[in-house]
Amino acid sequence: MSTTDVAERAGAEGTPGGAGVPPTPKKSRGSWAEKAALPLAWLVLFIVFAALNPERFLSMGNISNILGSQSILFMIALAALLPSMVGDIDLSLGGIGGLSAILVAVLNVQHAMPIGLACLIGIAAGALCGAVNALFVVRFKTEPFIMTLGTGTFFAGLVFWIANSTTIVGVSSTLSEWTYIRVIAGVPIQFYYCVLMMLVIWYVATYTPLGVRALFVGQSRDVAALSGIKSDRIRWGAFVLAGVIAALGGILYVGTTGSAGPSSVGSFLLPAYAAIFLGATAIQPGRFNALGTGVAVLFLATGVAGLQLLGAQDYAQQLFYGGALVAAVTLSRYLRRT
Amino acid sequence: MSSTALELHNISKVFGATRALSDVDMTVQHGEVLALLGENGCGKSTLVKVLAGVHEPEPGGRLVVDGTDVPLPMPLGTSSHLGLCFVHQDLGLARPLTVLENLLGTQEGGPRWNIRWGREARRAREMLRSYGVTVDPLAVVNQLPPVDQALVAIARAAEQLKQYRERTGATSSVLVLDEPTVFLPEEEVSFLFDLIRTVVAGGSSVIFISHDLPAVREIADRLTVLRDGRVVAHASMADVTDDQIVELIVGPAAAMKATFGHGEGSTLERTFDRTPGAGLEVTGLVGGRLTGLDLSVAPGEVVGLAGLLGSGAEDVPYLLFGARPADAGEVTVHGSAMPLPGQQPAIAVDAGLALIPADRRRDAIAPAVSVAENMMLLVVPRFRRRGVLDNRKLRSTADQRADALDVRPRRTSVPVGTLSGGNAQKVVLAKWLEISPRVLLLHEPTQGVDVAARAEIYRVIKRATETGMSVLWVSSDFDELATVSDRVVVVSGGIAVSTVSGADITPEAITTAVYGAARATGESTITTAEAVPS
Repeated sequence: MSTTDVAERAGAEGTPGGAGVPPTPKKSRGSWAEKAALPLAWLVLFIVFAALNPERFLSMGNISNILGSQSILFMIALAALLPSMVGDIDLSLGGIGGLSAILVAVLNVQHAMPIGLACLIGIAAGALCGAVNALFVVRFKTEPFIMTLGTGTFFAGLVFWIANSTTIVGVSSTLSEWTYIRVIAGVPIQFYYCVLMMLVIWYVATYTPLGVRALFVGQSRDVAALSGIKSDRIRWGAFVLAGVIAALGGILYVGTTGSAGPSSVGSFLLPAYAAIFLGATAIQPGRFNALGTGVAVLFLATGVAGLQLLGAQDYAQQLFYGGALVAAVTLSRYLRRT
Repeated sequence: MSSTALELHNISKVFGATRALSDVDMTVQHGEVLALLGENGCGKSTLVKVLAGVHEPEPGGRLVVDGTDVPLPMPLGTSSHLGLCFVHQDLGLARPLTVLENLLGTQEGGPRWNIRWGREARRAREMLRSYGVTVDPLAVVNQLPPVDQALVAIARAAEQLKQYRERTGATSSVLVLDEPTVFLPEEEVSFLFDLIRTVVAGGSSVIFISHDLPAVREIADRLTVLRDGRVVAHASMADVTDDQIVELIVGPAAAMKATFGHGEGSTLERTFDRTPGAGLEVTGLVGGRLTGLDLSVAPGEVVGLAGLLGSGAEDVPYLLFGARPADAGEVTVHGSAMPLPGQQPAIAVDAGLALIPADRRRDAIAPAVSVAENMMLLVVPRFRRRGVLDNRKLRSTADQRADALDVRPRRTSVPVGTLSGGNAQKVVLAKWLEISPRVLLLHEPTQGVDVAARAEIYRVIKRATETGMSVLWVSSDFDELATVSDRVVVVSGGIAVSTVSGADITPEAITTAVYGAARATGESTITTAEAVPS
């Protein structure tokens, strides 16, 4: 060992690093500017449209339209929120919503079933669809993205089958009464259902141990498992509840239009994801969250309504939703990294 | 209160043909810090996993916790009900979440409904402060310096033990710290020791697993040394010198020589062309845990790089190759210099660098792709004929290489993932040798490789060095380094501190140099808690 010589290491002694605990960066999640960016953007959007077309944009009819007409989107977005919060994704929600809508319409119109019972069956079907998703994704450990794309297509096929490829009209007006017709402060009652659902999700996610555990499952699934958190149970719950909420979205669709067709709720899936990703840039930046989703839905609804009032064609809606999703995903990716 | 906090008797564990643990006895007294020492693979982690209920020990062992016999095997997850708590090297924190969320998400009991975040944050701050940890509970774990992350993880475990004691009225509990100092800068390790002392004062015993002798010397009361799955010593720290500890860990030199049977290695001292810039030259490498490493490898030379986990040695290949970002430094390959900040794998390959990473399945092979395609990945353009890939020629070339390297099975059309570790590694080696690199960077190249394949790999690399290829070989297997190296450079505290060369290269010389370096340069030189101005 004669050649084993140990070099002197400069600076090993006398480094002043040990003076007290090193300063910790006092950074909680997101600055105020970050948290408030989306609400502010919404405000700006609102003011711009109001300035461009004050009479029509600021009319009570339009505001009630902004808040009320997008309730289906709002509900589907809240459905999409739950699996996303626990680190999954559910692309079958449009199919589930459509299935529940067509079930309600067919049972009520063709089988003369009372509307309340028909709705319950629609919701049960949503829960069942969610359980199917959970069975394949959680139990059989498959990729949720491609799996729910498959189940969603399957559910959409069921919708065509049940509807016999026709649109079923003449659903009991009681449903419309309790969703679209009744207004509180000028806004259809279904908007308040969505707000209530949003607040419940927000409360559970933020103020209960279940919410904190779900957060672990979504953000660090390995740590969750090694901490004894029952990840699978939480993911099952998210999928099943998402199915139920998507079914509620389908029922709102039937209430709003008085009908259900082969392709109805499916078109709300993409804007729903635009909403939750946009929502993940606000309130609790970097996380999917219910309040952010609510703000994002308002943002999207305002943008679309404003563009339509300015005379934009149907394609404007697609451009706006698509653009918002791309921007939101890019932004939330950036936020997650920091 | 019984006389001991924890006792293990006759714990054995067999994996297939290997005995990981043989009749291990260990005792932890109340309120002491017991250091559990031993080389990599000596059975420390197996023992910890038996305690945690991850591994079932062989029948016949006994576990006594605070005077009460615990039936073995212990179901997974029940250790916390016995007052055992573990902090592993990865700390078990959800890094994207805040400290407070980490504390709440994993605690038993606590609020069942309606979490009041303000109150919980205050409570968490008080709890952390009671352990002397001043970390903002609202900080995101990712954004904390490593030492604070470790402190939070340990404080969380200590608090769980405290709650266990309060809940059950027990007077003892055991905190197991598995290599907690590895990733900490030396001047910050002392904060950890303050915390451990607080934990002990609060009524817990601590099992402290570490390679870091200065740290052990500082904090432990007694030590237990494992070698090859057996306990070789129980001792009080006061009764042993550091040299004795090293010898206990490594074993008597004679015993080592007997197990070291594959050494036709580097007994002959070869001479190399040491013209500056001829082979590989690294100056001032900063990045990862390295703080200014200088290194040179002559053409045809094999330089082994040894160091304890956390010394920085294992970062060198990746930094040179541009697989991880470096902060400063320069690498010269065959006369052409490249700045290391901004280094990229594509540039490195063009300059003649090749990297064989440790995590083979993740970083080195595409398991579902065929042997032939994996092997020829870097030279695919060679098989282009009139714009079309000549698959037949590609496959026949791959077949020749497979023959030369004795890859089994010979069929190069099978996916690499179906090969054994050793054969897959031969494919990786063939892939890189195909471009005749000037410098081969290896990190643990024979991990999970059987003995026969290992010898074949040594042979192939040796042959490649005859054409002037320089080799930088990073390994925690000092037997291996002794076998293959012309020179072994010891890394400690982020720099190259010493060299073992020529006939002096033996596994025990390397081990002694590595532990000695850690001691002399203070890989974790302890600024003792008393000496820290506060």
